[in-house]
Amino acid sequence: MKVLVDIRLMFVRKMKETLRNPIYILSSLLTPILYLALFAPLLKNLIPNTTNVLNVFVPGLLVIIAFLGGLFVGYNMIDEVRNGVVERFRVTPTSRFALLAGRVLRDMVNILVIVTVFVLISLPFGFRPDLGGFFVFVPLLCMMIITTSSFGNALGLILRDEDRLSPIVQGINLPVLLLSGMLLPMELAPTWLQVIAHFNPAYYVVEAGRLLVAGHITDIKVGEAYLFMVPLTILVVTWATRAFRNAIA
Amino acid sequence: MTENVVSTVDLKKYFTSRKGVVKAVDGVNLSVAAGQVFGFLGPNGAGKTTTLRMLNTLLVPDSGQALVAGFDVLKDPGAVRCRFGYVGQSGGSDRPATGREDLVLQGRLYGMSKAEASSRAAELIDLLDLTDFADRIVYTYSGGQRRRLDVALGIMHRPQVLFLDEPTTGLDPQNRANLWKQIGKLKATGTTIFLTTHYLEEADILSDYLAIMDYGHIVAEGTPQQLKRQVSLDTIRVTLGDPAQNPAAAQVLEGLKVVKSSVLEQDCLRISVDNGEAALPQVMKALDGKDIAISNISLSTASLDDVFLEKTGRSLRDTEAEGGDR
Repeated sequence: MKVLVDIRLMFVRKMKETLRNPIYILSSLLTPILYLALFAPLLKNLIPNTTNVLNVFVPGLLVIIAFLGGLFVGYNMIDEVRNGVVERFRVTPTSRFALLAGRVLRDMVNILVIVTVFVLISLPFGFRPDLGGFFVFVPLLCMMIITTSSFGNALGLILRDEDRLSPIVQGINLPVLLLSGMLLPMELAPTWLQVIAHFNPAYYVVEAGRLLVAGHITDIKVGEAYLFMVPLTILVVTWATRAFRNAIA
Repeated sequence: MTENVVSTVDLKKYFTSRKGVVKAVDGVNLSVAAGQVFGFLGPNGAGKTTTLRMLNTLLVPDSGQALVAGFDVLKDPGAVRCRFGYVGQSGGSDRPATGREDLVLQGRLYGMSKAEASSRAAELIDLLDLTDFADRIVYTYSGGQRRRLDVALGIMHRPQVLFLDEPTTGLDPQNRANLWKQIGKLKATGTTIFLTTHYLEEADILSDYLAIMDYGHIVAEGTPQQLKRQVSLDTIRVTLGDPAQNPAAAQVLEGLKVVKSSVLEQDCLRISVDNGEAALPQVMKALDGKDIAISNISLSTASLDDVFLEKTGRSLRDTEAEGGDR
């Protein structure tokens, strides 16, 4: 099918770009490693009722890696708009969905590599995930990446200007991180903060991630996370594909 | 009768800005015959790029009709996209890839097999002199090298018509001349070329047929020769070795069929002719036949700027500062 061929072509194009410059993957690991080394030890005495602090902390970091990895791809998109690459593809008979999907898939592969490496690094620090639970966690992370990467790419295509993109992605970045309970569990938060957090997709994924890593696969919160993320992913991908169809770039 | 590869009927596109409605393209009728280089000349902001973007399916016209390679851009954009090539102002080559990789990808996007795309890429690398750098990353290319790759990308799928939007903007004179040479080669392969430009010289040298656009309208069209003839005649200036022979020379020249008029200006005879290049040898021969010695002779031909001035009341050279292209 033409669309599958196109997706593969666009994916391979972006993947080659990553492989030519793999330093990107290393640099993305730096922030979570710093958190792991310099912040996680603080949590030992803070979080009540936990035997393994990293089983609480690492899932949050993985969600952050997935979230940030996708959110900031708009800058690369702007670069390609400016160089006429997007316009060049848009006058070919290439499927518009493939133009988006090729990029998003590349981002997903990149970030999953980072996630894997980070999990391996966390093991000697004492991270002990339940294997089955972890594999139920991975699709949630993937949906997070697809959502943020589609959103980031479409935003770059629509705004076509770093100065307009920056305030938006930065404005989304910090509240989502703070309200995800990634640094400290939201159980410690006052009620009003917990209520706001329930509008944050990252919150559901962090909560589910912690339960899954501890092996509670059938917990209701895992279902909630899937119930939140599946429609959100579909919604954002549909919107982003429309942006690729309509944009005058 | 030649077949038209591009034709538009009353094509319109208005933009609403804070300052009001901008009639970017306001009723444009064009016909581009197969095999020719069609030049689309006008100052920045004239509406050339907007017209082009309606032809290449990136913009939806407000009204009017446009056919490219026989298909309606509104009703059948998919069929249109397979049949034209386009090189935008900012190029389109992928910076982190090699030129060859990018060419092969382009071919594959148009449905070529891997082998087919590779052999076509090799063919174009040869045709457009990309051999020395085709396997280097595009980031390392010079502006002129990248431009040639952009053009190669545009014709990868053997389109019936190639749209070039301001192809030589930003190139130094040497690279500009080189690109003109490459465009000449493409024309020789039978590709119809539709190019926009705000350079008079470029339009004059490259175009077989020319349309001049200003404020959303076509103000003149024809071959560059026809257009220049319309507004002014070519001028030959002759200075004689012996000024005393001026009246005799004037008499000889008035007798020539090609000479429209002659005037004595200070020490030189100014002769208006239809076609300066053809008339020049005749003038020299006639004077020589009467043993009138020439000390200096020069020819100045009408320029497209004279045409633009005549049609719009402004000189194209003066419009450069009026603002960005739309």
